[in-house]
Amino acid sequence: MIQAIAFYLFATLTIFSGAVTILARNPVHSVLWLILAFFNAAGLMILIGAEFIAMLLVIVYVGAVAVLFLFVVMMLDIDFAQLRAGFIKNFPLGFALAFVLLAELVMGVGAYKAGGLALGTPDAATAPVAGLSNTAAIGALLYSRYLFLFETAGIILLVAMIGAIVLTHRQRGDVRGQKPSSQISRRPEEATINLQPEVGKGVTL
Amino acid sequence: MTAFFQGLGLPFAAAWTISTICGILLIALPVMLAVAMVIYVDRKVWASMALRRGPNVVGPFGILQSFADGLKVFLQETIIPSAANKGLFLIAPIITFTVALLAWAVIPFNSGAILANINVGLLYILAISSLGVYGIVIAGWSSNSKYPFFSAMRASAQMISYEVSIGFILVCVVLWANSFNLNDIVKAQHGFGLGFINGFWCSPLLFPMWVMFLISSMAETQRAPFDLTEAESELVAGYQTEYSSMAFALFWLGEYGNVLLMCALNATLFWGGYLPPVELAVLYLIPGWIWLILKIAFGFFVFSWVKATVPRYRYDQLMRLGWKIFLPVSLLFVFLVSGYLMATGHFA
Amino acid sequence: MELLRSLQITLAEEVLSVSGLVLLLVAAWGGDKAARLISILSVAVLAVCALIAAPALCGSAMGPDVTAFAGQYRADAFAAFAKLLIYAGAGVTLIVAPAFFERVRGMRAEFPLLVLFAALGMGIMVSAGDLLALYIGLELNSLASYVLASMLRSDERSAESGLKYFVLGSLASGILLYGVSLTYGFTGTTSFEGIRLALGHGLSTGATFGVVFVLAGLAFKISAAPFHMWTPDVYEGAPTPVTTFFATAPKVAALSLLMRVSLEAFGAQPHAWQQIVIFAALLSIVIGALGAIGQNNIKRLMAYSSINNVGFMLIGLACANQPGAAAMLIYLAIYVAMSVAGFVAVLMLKDADGEPVEAISDMAGLSKTRPGLAAALAAVMFSLAGIPPLFGFWGKFVVFQAAVQANLLALAAIGIAASVIGAFYYLKVVKVLYFDEATDKVTGKSDLAHTVLLVIATLFISPLGYLLTNWLHGLAGNAAAALFHVA
Repeated sequence: MIQAIAFYLFATLTIFSGAVTILARNPVHSVLWLILAFFNAAGLMILIGAEFIAMLLVIVYVGAVAVLFLFVVMMLDIDFAQLRAGFIKNFPLGFALAFVLLAELVMGVGAYKAGGLALGTPDAATAPVAGLSNTAAIGALLYSRYLFLFETAGIILLVAMIGAIVLTHRQRGDVRGQKPSSQISRRPEEATINLQPEVGKGVTL
Repeated sequence: MTAFFQGLGLPFAAAWTISTICGILLIALPVMLAVAMVIYVDRKVWASMALRRGPNVVGPFGILQSFADGLKVFLQETIIPSAANKGLFLIAPIITFTVALLAWAVIPFNSGAILANINVGLLYILAISSLGVYGIVIAGWSSNSKYPFFSAMRASAQMISYEVSIGFILVCVVLWANSFNLNDIVKAQHGFGLGFINGFWCSPLLFPMWVMFLISSMAETQRAPFDLTEAESELVAGYQTEYSSMAFALFWLGEYGNVLLMCALNATLFWGGYLPPVELAVLYLIPGWIWLILKIAFGFFVFSWVKATVPRYRYDQLMRLGWKIFLPVSLLFVFLVSGYLMATGHFA
Repeated sequence: MELLRSLQITLAEEVLSVSGLVLLLVAAWGGDKAARLISILSVAVLAVCALIAAPALCGSAMGPDVTAFAGQYRADAFAAFAKLLIYAGAGVTLIVAPAFFERVRGMRAEFPLLVLFAALGMGIMVSAGDLLALYIGLELNSLASYVLASMLRSDERSAESGLKYFVLGSLASGILLYGVSLTYGFTGTTSFEGIRLALGHGLSTGATFGVVFVLAGLAFKISAAPFHMWTPDVYEGAPTPVTTFFATAPKVAALSLLMRVSLEAFGAQPHAWQQIVIFAALLSIVIGALGAIGQNNIKRLMAYSSINNVGFMLIGLACANQPGAAAMLIYLAIYVAMSVAGFVAVLMLKDADGEPVEAISDMAGLSKTRPGLAAALAAVMFSLAGIPPLFGFWGKFVVFQAAVQANLLALAAIGIAASVIGAFYYLKVVKVLYFDEATDKVTGKSDLAHTVLLVIATLFISPLGYLLTNWLHGLAGNAAAALFHVA
């Protein structure tokens, strides 16, 4: 009972905030609705017993990705009039795409209703191990069966990082960088001098 | 507690609901009270280190100062800037405040005295604390004013940077405790140091992690010396500049709530949580929650101490510390800790 | 022990990734000054990896002995064949790149690293035995490619091509992933063998959707029509060495992946995808031929030519049998050589200041000023058109032969007719080179490495290439046999 209520609550909110994400006029509002959608999706994950995935969803998407999103979107200066002009121009294309996607959805649902679809059963190779928390179970699979793909995924992230640095990092000649070690090792005796200036004479530095 | 209510003749569902609500109140109300008290303590500690008296007028030793302040802001007029994004402007302090209370659900106050004994408790805390940044970012943006906005930018960069190293530090602890459940983590510290000291801090591999955790948690809660989001000499009052009355008070409560939470986390992860500091039978006569509160109080004293003595960091120094020192060092320690544990057959 | 065995089988990938990481450290400390050194070392690494991969091809390795990580990875003869071509393409890119980039001070130490990691991704693509490995390999390759395309930051066209490639590429990845998830949902497994078994019991509607989406996503990566729109812009905008790379290695990888997925995973239901492939093949041939006609930029022309050639290669896939696959591999090998020769020749077209010359009209009368270069370009054009004495003809011939044997007479006939249309624009270039008034634009000196590569590649596509037919057929046969081993 309470599970059903929770499910419908989370599911409705996910869909609703997903819809508002694309309908909201203000991009910052969009991102905030997106965050709500992530959050409710995490709730759905908890309901199916995947608490590890749920927490990761919040930590990674809400805690890091969406913050960066927000960071960028907040700094954008978006001209809504211009945006709408582009919208009208591209409307036919967007409409065609939307229509194709809708047709696919309808066909998919239709095929499902007609009994044409039989979902496959997962193969036994990745069956959950009894008595392990799903954190441990995921770890056990990732580092044995999927080790190769897991490590390669790491290299993908590395490439993304190299790419971001290559495309944005510029070596500018006019910047003086910090040298913390030499700054810290500097002593007051080298940096200051104590003088007892005579009245009316001033000091020479 | 559910059993107690069931004993009163209630069905299970009702008993569970009531006991959960009671549990929430039992945690939330003392935490809010504690926040009021630690604000006073903070000011007192800070004042004594500066050879001042601090609050001493309201009540004996000025102990009711926080309540007087609370009453003052409560009676103030709420001012909403006309150019602000009204909805978000009001939501922001509520987010900060709520999030500061949410994470307490998984802190164990005694063996078994835990509101939600979930097996990914530590991840839950990470997840919730990563939400904390939204209150500040939203406040800064919705104020529609430049200083709050700068502050919001700083806050989001700062919190993301230090969450990374906190994550790795926690991984070290989790590896040693072999669990994400905070109760299990506390139990794993039982007699950890030579069978006598309770707490992960005494391991040579985890001691540096503890130091880094302490520093990172100050950065994460934007406490001095990392309080760049409200650096008054640069940003007026940062994201709080446009706030007044209750909204402002909620930020205060949320901020100190987060500090307390970090102290609680520090106590739970490194100082043995509700266990006495050392293994002596006589110390077990004192209930576990008192030990936890004492440890939190000491942790908070360290926070105040640092605030009173260490000058504020510059922003680039803060980023350098986070990305160029803490991140590689914590990564190295994840490597060292897991290597040590593998070599000693910890997981066998 | 299973892990050790798996690690032995994936040795080529390990060598690539470890040396990539080590060279990354060299790049981090050496800076852009070390770029040339890193390029040379990277070529050496690719050569080592080719040596590691080669025995599998010659020994026609297949089956469970060369399968690692529970079927996610296969180092069989087919993978080895594709890998040799990929490493060759990547190696050529690394050899020609320094001279091009150094002129505009754009040589970055990360360039060879990105090429190495792209090669790693492509190696995983062609060795994939699982939808997850497929996707991971594809993304690794694509991500590196997006960056490579916009490598020349001072050039707006380069940035534009990178952005276009990225946006459309991620859309294609999304479509592919959608197909992958549908396939997984309706077959219950991500491994190719499992999918084959599941589809053997019949094809559900949902699985058909999955197949269609997976093929659509891959069609984008091989730039087959109707998913070809990005190709001319990216080929034109990307720095020429990177275009050389795009026209060779990723093309081989994506086509091999397409073969592996269609013939192995969806092999039990060939009729589900055959029509799609035939449609894409014909459309690519026609669009490639017609689109090229109005082009004055040689790189755009080569882009349309690559769309056209992909169409011909897809004819081999449409046969859905072993000779078809072998024919396709032979065409692929010859196509790589033609692309290398073509793009290296384009790289050598420079004016007096060393600025690249890309307009076809500027090459008028090249035969008088640079007879050798003009001859090589002409050979490439004739070969791409499939005109008999050149080796390009052989590729088309074996593909059509396979199509006829598989009773795809109509497809073969339309293909031959369309290749006649295609010949028009190739011959137009030759006419400009040989019979137009000389403009004396192309006067720049060429790098030694470029000349050597051009000579080798041109000799391969010249009639001398026919000496290699037996050898090439043997290797392609081995590779195709490995592909059909599971059946």
